Amino acid sequence: MSNEFKVYFFIGKGGVGKTTCAAAYSLILARQGLKTLIVSLDPAHNLGDVFGLELSEKPKEILDNLYGIEVDFNKMVQEHLKDLTDRIKDIYKYLKVLNLDKYIDVLRHSPGIEEYATLEKISEIIEFNFKERRYDTIIFDTPPTGLTIRIMALPSISLIWIRKLMELRMAILDRRRFLEEIYGEKLKAKIGNKELVMASTIEEDPVYKELRNLYKRVKFVNEIFTNPKITTTVMVVNPELLPVLEARRAYDFLKKIDIHVKAIIINKVLELEVIPKELNVKFAEQTKAIQLINNEFRDIRILKVPILPEEPTGINNLLKITKYLSQLIMED
Amino acid sequence: MIKNNYKKIMQKAWNIIIGVFKAKSSEYIEVELRELENVFALVILGSFIGLPSPPTVISLKLLPHIAKELLTMSRISERLDDMLGEMAGIFEIT
Repeated sequence: MSNEFKVYFFIGKGGVGKTTCAAAYSLILARQGLKTLIVSLDPAHNLGDVFGLELSEKPKEILDNLYGIEVDFNKMVQEHLKDLTDRIKDIYKYLKVLNLDKYIDVLRHSPGIEEYATLEKISEIIEFNFKERRYDTIIFDTPPTGLTIRIMALPSISLIWIRKLMELRMAILDRRRFLEEIYGEKLKAKIGNKELVMASTIEEDPVYKELRNLYKRVKFVNEIFTNPKITTTVMVVNPELLPVLEARRAYDFLKKIDIHVKAIIINKVLELEVIPKELNVKFAEQTKAIQLINNEFRDIRILKVPILPEEPTGINNLLKITKYLSQLIMED
Repeated sequence: MIKNNYKKIMQKAWNIIIGVFKAKSSEYIEVELRELENVFALVILGSFIGLPSPPTVISLKLLPHIAKELLTMSRISERLDDMLGEMAGIFEIT
């Protein structure tokens, strides 16, 4: 597998500043001459707001070497389901065994659809770049931790299921072949008013073919996610107890599925020469949280980004943050 | 003429014997196939009956191709109240 391009995931609790850090980092890479694509996967998009321009589904040039996309979630889920539901409705109109029509119409709201559609989008972007090699770096600004770790875990969970289903399917095809040998002809089944010839080899079985395609696709994404030479996962936290504890849990979970977090950014650190007494407690809590981060994340690089007087929107303000993130690139 | 008739009768008898053996040998495989198809459909649509099921999209991608398995599942579920009778029939317990 080629490791000529790099993929970054910025993950963290909602509101910690993932988008700001991802955007600032994309500026560093672009200014180094690396053609960079930044993709917002967060349904509550604010990547465009951070850069101070409107982004859409199609890559838009933000600066030289820097392009941005905001994924349209509704469109993505609808596209993902449209072809699927059309095929299902077409086949099952003959079949009255289950009330599938109602089921299909609510598919959009079934658990896991949004995660899978997001994963499809990620794999579509990576696969496209893998073939076309349009960008040197792709940065994903992700939804809040809960959803992101479910998306990132999906390939490894899916692989287990697909492998088991393939085994079961092989057992079915074996039995069909035995029966064909005994009867000397293909097995047939009547579905509604159609007579179907039953597949008995992996080459002709549409279910097995579908499983094999899924397996290839999911394995590709999983290999990208778990390859530290291609993928870098960066966590963003605030110097507060709860985001740190959540980050630790996410870190452990990702480690279990072979996704290694490379760095942690402590964003919005309060740095004051003279501390007003009203902020004493806040400051003590921050020190405690930073100590906790230093203890809990000893194996990875820790970067600090101070809270800035101005809101970090617009390219000029983002550039002020870049110096705090430059160590992240030296790591590569 | 008599020889030909004799040959035809022998051929028919042979076909009947082969047919009986074929039916006997295929019976268990047919039951096994039916059960495997039932399990496959149950796994795919497991969430309907509270079984853990694969990620929804895997089920959805397979759904257009498993009409036969769903039919098998539906037929088996209709007979679920007499599974013992069915098993007795297969193993010729009378």
